[in-house]
Amino acid sequence: MTKKIPLIAHDLKKLYTGFLIAAVVLFAVTSILTEFNIFTLISNGDAFWSFLTEDFLPPALPKASRIPGVLSSVVVTLALAMSATTVAAILAFFVSLFGSEKVSPFPQFAKVVRGFATFLRNIPALVWAFILFSSLGIGTGVGFVALCITSFAFMVRAFVETMEDVSQDCVESLQAVGATFPQRVAQAILPSCLSGFLSWFLYCVEVNIRASTIVGMVGGGGVGLTLFSYIKSFQYDVALSIILLVAVMVIVVDQITARLRKEILK
Amino acid sequence: MNMNSDENIVMLNPQRKLIRDAQKTKGRIPVKCRQRNRFIPCFLAGVVVLSVLSLFYLEIDWGKMVSRVPDIGEVFWQLAHLDFANMDLILSSLVETISIAVLSLLYSLLLGIIFGMLAARNIFRIPLLSVLTQSFFTFLRAVPTPVWVLLMLVCLGMGPEAGVAGLCVHTTAFFTKSFAQSFESIPDETIEALEVTGAGRLSIFFNAVLPAALSQIVAWAGMRLETNFSECAILGMVGAGGIGYVISNSLQGYDYGTAGTAILLVFLVAYCIERLFVRIKKRF
Repeated sequence: MTKKIPLIAHDLKKLYTGFLIAAVVLFAVTSILTEFNIFTLISNGDAFWSFLTEDFLPPALPKASRIPGVLSSVVVTLALAMSATTVAAILAFFVSLFGSEKVSPFPQFAKVVRGFATFLRNIPALVWAFILFSSLGIGTGVGFVALCITSFAFMVRAFVETMEDVSQDCVESLQAVGATFPQRVAQAILPSCLSGFLSWFLYCVEVNIRASTIVGMVGGGGVGLTLFSYIKSFQYDVALSIILLVAVMVIVVDQITARLRKEILK
Repeated sequence: MNMNSDENIVMLNPQRKLIRDAQKTKGRIPVKCRQRNRFIPCFLAGVVVLSVLSLFYLEIDWGKMVSRVPDIGEVFWQLAHLDFANMDLILSSLVETISIAVLSLLYSLLLGIIFGMLAARNIFRIPLLSVLTQSFFTFLRAVPTPVWVLLMLVCLGMGPEAGVAGLCVHTTAFFTKSFAQSFESIPDETIEALEVTGAGRLSIFFNAVLPAALSQIVAWAGMRLETNFSECAILGMVGAGGIGYVISNSLQGYDYGTAGTAILLVFLVAYCIERLFVRIKKRF
């Protein structure tokens, strides 16, 4: 018995070998292009470690007079994410009705709507923020609009997919008995898709909490701006305590949305 | 969907239920959906209240914003005048951005498998180890990527190293969680069968768990490449190199033509990655 029994199916093995080769080739090419070498990073380990232990740890509280400002900036970030997601969700709901061929009263325009959403979505939120900063000026309002644009585009795609996943029988039968477009939406789509929509909405809230911190860093206000200013002024120990604050904020929001999602999908 | 009492009655005795309904509604067929989730209206009301409060709290100067809306049109008009003069700079920074995204993905793939192995509860069966790893990476994941990149910039200096290292932190944290989940979804019987033959922990992992989770790993990696590219395009704006730096620099210098070209290229690459990923996902 010299012949071994192969443990993995032949075509699967070919596929995995292909992926492995592709990964190695990509690794080599990108390493050369960026001149990134993991060993220089390891040899720089001492500097890294001293930065961690001397500048970064232990976390220090900001000056007592600044603490209320930091806390209110956290609230601004939360408020920004919450309001931007809600406004985007309301807009996305109405637009997504026109983005699905089976639901929309003008099926020939569905592709246009989806293409527009794809365009908006594939440009990162921060790029939108920069474009808007150069036209609207710096401020919380611009951060709000930038967040709105990306989460609107994301939700249009998610909502359209939710609507297409749900069986179309209801819509078709309502159409057959002569229901108008608003009636079809209210009686067939809303009852069957609402929990799916809300689950995507919660996901968007999670994403936007992080995104609003980032948009804040470049001038949208909120805790991102506070963090950025501490890093720029070399107060790394204070920055660390704000990073911890951001982490706590994100984790708490994730926990809350997970609980709410469970309730909604019940 | 939960089964409430009405549905149970329908199943037991449909006719009695229909008669009762007809009596209750005076001969009309009820059209209202009965199995509604009572929580959803409360949730919707809560969301609306919270959002209105947030909008008031933000105190956005809407008048000023609206008065500047025509400027947006002008900026877009100027962005649409693509300027190909700096094409070599744009292309080289775009290649750099893509390379950083791919490289950090590959490094984190490796790290993610190692840490995912530590974090999964069914591999080493040391609960303390998996809880510690999980909570550490939950912390790393909760902090947005640009923050890590900024900190890496401080200790590694300008250049692609900071970008790769900073992106790796977040991507590794993401992979650790998702891979641990995939590893834990492997049925216990497989592992027990190998344990009985006397295989060590590591050989169980490499011969049974990893191959079984491989297709999921590929799916996660594809999903992450999309995110990594758009985050990488962002990183330039907080100070690391790459296409983001070109975009923010030329926007701040009112060089809208160059910025427009760069943004268009970012869009095209992101779109291609998305299409590619959709194709791959369909084949699986």
